[in-house]
Amino acid sequence: MNMLTGYIEQTEGEIIIDGYDMLKRPKKAKREIGYMPEGVPLYTDLTVKEFVTYMAEIKRVDRKTRKERVEKIIEQTGLKDVEKKLIKNLSRGYKQRVSMAGALVGEPKILILDEPTVGLDPKQITEIRNLIKELGKTHTVILSSHILSEVSQICNKVIIINKGKIVAIDTPENLENKVSNKNCIYVTVEDTEDKMKDIKDKIKDIDKLELIKENEDGTKEYMIESKEGIDLRKMLFTELAKENITIFEMKKADSTLEEAFMKVIEGGNK
Amino acid sequence: MFSVMKKELKTYFCSPVGYVFIGLFLIMFSIFFYVDVFQYGSTNFEYIFYSGATILTFITPILTMRTIAEERKNGTEQLLLTSPLSITKVVLGKFIAATIIVIITEICTFLYFGILSFFGTPHITTALVTLLGFLLLAISYISFGILASSITENQIIAGVITIGFFILTWFLPNFSEVFTNFSLINMFSKFPTGQIDIADTVTYVTFTILCLLLTVIVMQRRKSVR
Repeated sequence: MNMLTGYIEQTEGEIIIDGYDMLKRPKKAKREIGYMPEGVPLYTDLTVKEFVTYMAEIKRVDRKTRKERVEKIIEQTGLKDVEKKLIKNLSRGYKQRVSMAGALVGEPKILILDEPTVGLDPKQITEIRNLIKELGKTHTVILSSHILSEVSQICNKVIIINKGKIVAIDTPENLENKVSNKNCIYVTVEDTEDKMKDIKDKIKDIDKLELIKENEDGTKEYMIESKEGIDLRKMLFTELAKENITIFEMKKADSTLEEAFMKVIEGGNK
Repeated sequence: MFSVMKKELKTYFCSPVGYVFIGLFLIMFSIFFYVDVFQYGSTNFEYIFYSGATILTFITPILTMRTIAEERKNGTEQLLLTSPLSITKVVLGKFIAATIIVIITEICTFLYFGILSFFGTPHITTALVTLLGFLLLAISYISFGILASSITENQIIAGVITIGFFILTWFLPNFSEVFTNFSLINMFSKFPTGQIDIADTVTYVTFTILCLLLTVIVMQRRKSVR
């Protein structure tokens, strides 16, 4: 990430940003990037407006349009109310926005965000995520995050890097599907006569039937596994109804990006 | 470059740093002025700058120690290095901003010149030569201060290195004649007599350029070895 933004020089390989080589034409390449570093470093002695203006200046925004640009960005990131406040007096959420404004003001084609939601409360997180989604429509956004639910929510494409090597590039959905090779259904039933065991014999496709939990209200939660490509839910519903078992809840197990991540990383380490 | 300079000046005057530097210098300068003029009855404006140079030796780090060390510590260095600005321009911007503070200070000292011309007839040309010499001394001090600030993350260490180096160059001639030409503050001694010594001027300027160049190199090195 640091190399991508030109903060550190690369040790090997090439970095090409929008056709410009980072080593040979750093000025052009860096203009195309808006970078929001981790831990949001800011000049805390400046006011929000001063900071954004300064960032516009060092990003070489044209002098004529600079003022308008700064105004627009402050508006867009929702900083209008605090534009005259010193940055050191702002809350973490606002600081994050100021940093985002600083990254955006140079009209970059590529926006690189490093851990943009760390240390925020849930409301601020949703706000920042919405902002990122909004920006994703007009910019290429590269987002680095350890919160995988966030990644699967926001991103169209995921790259998992393990020890400096790319181990997977795919959409979050595909990554999730790759892991879910088993068909697994969770059912919660009221089964007073304990007939669930017989169900396995009745439906041939069931591989495994397992009692997970007995709830206090007398219901039981089962996990039912079947072969791939077979959706058992319809069959289960009719069979269970015949047996006089009431279904309280039935859900298909989703695999999450976390599982995909673990699997890919483990595969890489072997 | 000018955007960095503008921002640096803004932080000098939005935080106490700029005022402390100018204020401290003028207070001490006033004390020496009082001693010189009222105790010894001299109306010589230039000679007070010998004391002025001594003051500068001790308070330059106030201006320079935070310049780069603070940026590195806060991580704002990342903002600068990932922007299209070259490192040279960043360093120059910071250098010029600090120099402007010294120039403001020098302009303030004209107040004393005014007081003196009320009582006597001080020479304006020698005064200007003195101020030029003082500025040359200041830029070489500032450039070294910035260099010291670039090699560490800690402002205090940067400040101590700066003062330590100045004191070292100040007293080295006392140990051996060889070092006479290396003493920054000693080279200043001819200016208050109204002479512009080419050798000294060139030394100051080259020393400044050397320090600024080293600063750029240090920052560049940090970029590739981290």
